[in-house]
Amino acid sequence: MSPQKLKILVLDDEPIVCKRLQPALEKLGYEVDTFTQSLEALHQIQETTYDIIITDLKMKGIDGMRFLQEAKKHHPVTEVIVITGFATLETAKESFQKGVFDFIAKPFKLSEIQEVVTKAATKIRGAGA
Amino acid sequence: MGCLVLGCQARNMVDLLTPLKKLWERMRRPKPETAPFPEIFEQFQTLLQDHQQVMELIADIGEKSGGEYIFDRKYLSDFTNTLHTLLLRMVNSLNLLATKRYMELYTTLDHIFQPLEAELRGRLVLSEEMPFVVGLSELPLDHPELTGGKSNALGRAIQSLNLPVPAGFVITIRAYRKFLEANQLEERIYTWLESWAAGEQDLGQTSRQIQYSILSGVVPRGVAAEIRRQTAKDEICWAVRSSAYGEDGELTFAGLHETRLNVPSGKILSAYREVLASLYSPGALSYRQKMGLLGEEAAMAVLCQKTIGSQTAGVIHTLDLSHPAANRLVIYASFGWGRTVVEGRASVDRFVVEKDPPHRILEREIAAKQFMVRPKPGGGEEEVPVPEAERQQPSLTDEAIETLVKWALSLERYFKRPQEIEWAQDNTGALWLLQSKYMNISRATVPPQEDIANITARYPVIIRDQGIVAHAGVGSGPVYQVDSDAKLSRFPEGAVLVIKYTAPWLTPVVPKAAAIITERGSAAGHLATIAREFRVPTLVGVEGASDLFRDGEKITVDTKQRVVYAGRVKELLQYELVQTPAFEETHEFRQLRRLLKRIAPLHLIDPQAPDFTPQDCESVHDVIRFIHEKAVNELMDLPRFLKRVKGVKIFTLSSDVPLGLKILDLGGGIDPHIHGSLVLPEHIQSLPLKALWEGVAAPGVWSTEPIPVDFKGMMSSLTKTWAEAPGSTAYAGFNLAVISGIYLNLHLRLGYHLNLVDARMHPEPQHNHIYFRFVGGVTDITRRSRRAQLLAHILSKFHFKVDVKGDLVVARVLHLPPEEMAARLKVLGHLIGFTRQLDIQLKSDEDIPQFLESFYQQHSPAREKSSL
Repeated sequence: MSPQKLKILVLDDEPIVCKRLQPALEKLGYEVDTFTQSLEALHQIQETTYDIIITDLKMKGIDGMRFLQEAKKHHPVTEVIVITGFATLETAKESFQKGVFDFIAKPFKLSEIQEVVTKAATKIRGAGA
Repeated sequence: MGCLVLGCQARNMVDLLTPLKKLWERMRRPKPETAPFPEIFEQFQTLLQDHQQVMELIADIGEKSGGEYIFDRKYLSDFTNTLHTLLLRMVNSLNLLATKRYMELYTTLDHIFQPLEAELRGRLVLSEEMPFVVGLSELPLDHPELTGGKSNALGRAIQSLNLPVPAGFVITIRAYRKFLEANQLEERIYTWLESWAAGEQDLGQTSRQIQYSILSGVVPRGVAAEIRRQTAKDEICWAVRSSAYGEDGELTFAGLHETRLNVPSGKILSAYREVLASLYSPGALSYRQKMGLLGEEAAMAVLCQKTIGSQTAGVIHTLDLSHPAANRLVIYASFGWGRTVVEGRASVDRFVVEKDPPHRILEREIAAKQFMVRPKPGGGEEEVPVPEAERQQPSLTDEAIETLVKWALSLERYFKRPQEIEWAQDNTGALWLLQSKYMNISRATVPPQEDIANITARYPVIIRDQGIVAHAGVGSGPVYQVDSDAKLSRFPEGAVLVIKYTAPWLTPVVPKAAAIITERGSAAGHLATIAREFRVPTLVGVEGASDLFRDGEKITVDTKQRVVYAGRVKELLQYELVQTPAFEETHEFRQLRRLLKRIAPLHLIDPQAPDFTPQDCESVHDVIRFIHEKAVNELMDLPRFLKRVKGVKIFTLSSDVPLGLKILDLGGGIDPHIHGSLVLPEHIQSLPLKALWEGVAAPGVWSTEPIPVDFKGMMSSLTKTWAEAPGSTAYAGFNLAVISGIYLNLHLRLGYHLNLVDARMHPEPQHNHIYFRFVGGVTDITRRSRRAQLLAHILSKFHFKVDVKGDLVVARVLHLPPEEMAARLKVLGHLIGFTRQLDIQLKSDEDIPQFLESFYQQHSPAREKSSL
């Protein structure tokens, strides 16, 4: 176990995604906060710094693309993982241009996201070392 | 006289006209268009591909119900749209192949998809076909919106866990709606609630008005008649309980709704109204207001169960609220009815039991029990003092405690959350389950003492990141490997099942298993489906599992993280228990399971049955099964097909095995260098046909001794046409294989048996299937059924899922790698040869084992792989 826990924020307007991701990531040793409203999540990132952000793209109000830009602006080393049900090549390309760590199409396997998060964590720890 | 002459003339005229009329009709009738072969061929191939894609989608959504995937509502609606589009295309293709003879299929599709789509739009669908009253033992489990939460949980305890629950029935939410409608209450209730919300009336007034109008309402005749049908059988008393929609989920409504005990059959309608009215008691109304539920529709089903005259009753908490972190459960018990315990008015016995085996009783508090509640003769209840001498006696024996602990653990394992269980013991000593619901425990109630990841890191890991998740969850128990029927029957409750293959005969032990690990099989296979039905955490495709785990070794299987730990990781089990809600209980999963019920089950098994029609298709699977069968028939009806279609090339197979096999190659099935229409077995490139042929042509298969006819005679009987036999239709006279490089559809008529093999062998296992159907024979039905039974035996040993209906055998196997598919096709080839002689030789049921044995000895290439 690492000395300090990495913090993860999950944002998805469908509550089931949050409810299922939280325990799956906690069991890997992360501290997890979840949000279904992008505005609330936006407030939260002003106050807390997250190592990893997992966000949906298409949401009411502030969409995921804008949210991740804000997050990156606020804390550039945050690794962002995009999860979306509208997986097109264009959105994938656009999110990579915005510095996204990885892009996962919904529905996805728990093991898939766990793997990507582990990779992101390795990168963060490597950079911090 | 004149009339008579006229009449005669008229008749003559009719006689004369008849042929003309027929000719006229024939000319008028649109001639079936003869489509060019490439077009038909393309349609057929598209249809096969669509069929395959739908099969895969069905498997896919089945897998999604296992919890390994994270999906949302959008996925469900996208999925349904894709499926609908594919199905429409398949119906179009079939109608093109069959010159528009199946137009009814469009209506069938509407019947299947309209409710699916309505449901996805979020409407609470209670269709007109749903019953007013339904027996507790045949409750539709995926419709808690019909029977309410409490009944649903009991239905699951009966149907999935086999626990004894007092018999009874549910007056459904459809009946509740009918009641409101018949008494014109909907509008009025709404108006009263509005004026309460607006502050024009107080809570008491509102509640009184609504309750009074319900109590004075008339139970609609149709509903009352169905209730009477349930109660008329015997003169007994009933417990009448609320089972409101949404109750027992995340919201408990604990104690807010009425229960009427010991109600005689004659008074059940008034008890029904009283329980309905309790939906609008002041307590219930203010609770719903507090929870922000007033805007939503309240609805109540009512559960009626035979009264148990209990000598002892009580409650179990599978989590000890005074020591949430301790791994133990608590049983509360007292004499008489359970009310004494539930209402907490008197001191009761308390037993604290360890949740881990061997379930030691850790604490025993025997209270002085002053009084008890019991049924009053003629209805109602009474409170009587407990005789002085019995007050200090324990109300439960250790044996009864043992049974209750077993039930409690299996209920908690199934519902995935700590349970509050009501139980009773009748005067004969028999125990009954009365109710099981969630204990409302949040992560805050049981704060983890330490980070879960740190705790699990201390346990040794046996395997990590291996296998495919068939059902997500955490289970723990001793390893139990099943490699024989005898071991199967001794499977202990709560053990972890470890097996090589996921064969259908393992089904009976699934509900008892704490978790399942298999070496082979797919998440879409039969065992995986059963595991999901019973919510058993299951990992399939774990290489070498049977060597990795020792019998009796305690392990903890976490299929959400794909980790298996040595030992019992009790902190992890505890952690899982307090996550809200269990994914199985979320709206999305329930919706998925309801979709699945309309999509995946196959009801149309026998194509010769009178109900093999578009009207009888109940599911998507039925529809594609019907389309596939009819499309293949179009091609099988070769003479007509050839007349309709120009430019089709049919090969004839020349071989020592004189089957007279014709081959229609859709592409890649036959060596392209062949000129002419005669091919030899070595020219076959279609993988499945090649594998099957290897079995058919293997030495000994066609000359198996003893066959009491000379070779010539036998061969003539083999290739005999079947035109005179009942049920025979168009495709008599020869055998036909429709093939491609990886596909085979074979109709084989041997003597009097009809074999059908439909198989696909793709490099990727999830695209693969074998479907085998065997029917016919001229002997009496007893012998034919005996043969069917023998085939079923053999096939299930080779891990086929087998259905037998009289003399019809249907066997399926899915998603094995190509080499294993090939091995099974070879077995089928053997079997096809083997079955020819069975009618004659299989004289009694006692012959079956001997035949089984002889089949294994002669033709068992998969024997070393199959452990049975």
